[in-house]
Amino acid sequence: MPMFKTPFNGYSVKFSPFYEHKLAVATSQNFGILGNGRIHVLDVNPAGGPMAEISSFETADGVYDVTWSEENENLLVAAIADGSVKLYDLALPPAGNPIRSLSEHTREVHSVDWNPVRRDSFITSSWDDTIKLWTVDRPTSVRTFKEHAYCVYQSVWNPRHADIFCSASGDCTVRVWDVREPVSTMILPAHEFEVLSCDWNKYDDCLIVTASVDKSIKVWDVRNFRVPITVLNGHSYAVRKVKFSPHRQSLIASCSYDMTVCLWDYQVEDALVGRYDHHTEFAVGVDMSVLVEGLLASTGWDEMVYVWPHGTDPRAP
Amino acid sequence: MDNKPQGSSPPPKPWERAGSTSSGPPPFKPPTPGSTSDVVEASGTSRPGEIVTAADKSAAVSRTPLARPVPSRPWEPNTGMNTYGTGVGGYNSGQTYGSGYGTSGMYGGGLGTTYGGLGGGLGSTYGGGMYGGSSMYNRGGYGGGLYGSGGGMYGGGGMYGGGLGGQMGGYGMGGMGMGGMGGPYGDQDPNNPYGGAPPQPPSFWISFLRVMQGVVTFFGRISILIDQNTQAFHLFMSALLQLFDRSGVLYGELARFVLRVLGIRTKPRKVHPPGPDGLPVPGPYNQGNGGGQHYIEGPKAVPNGGNWDNVWGN
Repeated sequence: MPMFKTPFNGYSVKFSPFYEHKLAVATSQNFGILGNGRIHVLDVNPAGGPMAEISSFETADGVYDVTWSEENENLLVAAIADGSVKLYDLALPPAGNPIRSLSEHTREVHSVDWNPVRRDSFITSSWDDTIKLWTVDRPTSVRTFKEHAYCVYQSVWNPRHADIFCSASGDCTVRVWDVREPVSTMILPAHEFEVLSCDWNKYDDCLIVTASVDKSIKVWDVRNFRVPITVLNGHSYAVRKVKFSPHRQSLIASCSYDMTVCLWDYQVEDALVGRYDHHTEFAVGVDMSVLVEGLLASTGWDEMVYVWPHGTDPRAP
Repeated sequence: MDNKPQGSSPPPKPWERAGSTSSGPPPFKPPTPGSTSDVVEASGTSRPGEIVTAADKSAAVSRTPLARPVPSRPWEPNTGMNTYGTGVGGYNSGQTYGSGYGTSGMYGGGLGTTYGGLGGGLGSTYGGGMYGGSSMYNRGGYGGGLYGSGGGMYGGGGMYGGGLGGQMGGYGMGGMGMGGMGGPYGDQDPNNPYGGAPPQPPSFWISFLRVMQGVVTFFGRISILIDQNTQAFHLFMSALLQLFDRSGVLYGELARFVLRVLGIRTKPRKVHPPGPDGLPVPGPYNQGNGGGQHYIEGPKAVPNGGNWDNVWGN
């Protein structure tokens, strides 16, 4: 199956919403602690073998996350460790990039997510405890959401509602926000420890999945968030990223500091339906293709990017 | 078989084709039509380009009791490096106007931006990038540096959000009481209508502060990583301790360290070389164990006739 060796440590991986064979990877030198970063745009070879690089962009600090525009097939947004958010246009030569650098966050930017419904905006979350809302037509952020008491690790748009998103923070809460409201509309005290990741269910827009340092994954219904719908245990270390499948309602992918990528079906009793231990270091980035059902991608600190269909060995040649 | 994009929209999402399976109405207000910026502006919550400083954050209402106390961060005032940052915050909130030759003037009030200094009459600077609050960590980014200084005192480097330590300059110099200057250390600004001279190399203090900032960044990131992965770090530390324990170093070193702290110097353990003919030299360390070698697992000779007081001592 296709794989790619990056010069730096992998941090995040995202399939293009426009082309099934395009993949963006965010990487950082020295485990993202010190040094440069690089964004790779890869061509997934469906016939197997190594992936080909379409283009790459260097940054002066680590890149922690990347997202594709839902409006322009060539537009990429990167979350940089120096607190900036950079926009790249793949149609331009490398010298013309980045086309914009937005510097408002005062600490590392840890995640970026493009609004899939309204398609003209994106949100970034940062270690400065804030989330910022940006639109492509403005040089400054439209709004800043500051309520979390510790680093915000991820914020994700609701896939069916243009104004709603949720955020996961080190203050152990997950908050649901409406961009029209001055304060958060819901506060879920989701875990006993830091919450590192969250995502919305694509088919039931009231369900949120959260992942935490406490090694567990929890599924919540925002209509009744006192108790989780289910708790998924199986990772042996902190769960770094979690994502609902774009194709199946109850399928969840997760990756963890225990170096594995796991697939879960939260509605069945034996929820763990797949475990992949192909990474030899922390697995920190996972994504599921919107265009090809069952196609997974992952990256980790072992500097490897894997793309494989669910049920096969990612390392198989 | 590519899913070709139609116009500027990606192919429809699988969940859009399927429709919602939600078991009840969502507790959200129905979406407002229009662009995101219009919707936010219409709601009256828009605050374009807001920059949140540490001071702002502490004032922000969290609205919920947290499950546990939030750990402190290494770049914030109550840990090691921060006597420094606090000092600068104090300085900044004094709202000093710079004056005199070579100062660009601070006017920040802890807000993170410096407006305008006089530049000693040499042409105005804009956004010198002083930042306040108590955090010495706010890096990169906004307002970084001189913008089109006419007098050429600082060469009119000028950057557009390049964030190459403009604040550090202001910060450092201000903190040191040497008269603030916005940091003109970026690349030449292509938009600078004055086309100033190339930027001067940073002074010793500014380089020093940049290094310090790098150190703080480094430990900040390490601490967040450890935060994120408590168990793995715990395992790593216990493995390390076990390793030292196994090799017999741990307690000896610990004891030596404690003694040292108490001001008692201990001699390092010396291995006596074998004497001529490969025979061990007779001496206090070369008795027992049949020949001068100290085996980790081997039984140790009891010193001083059964008195264990000095077992760790040397």
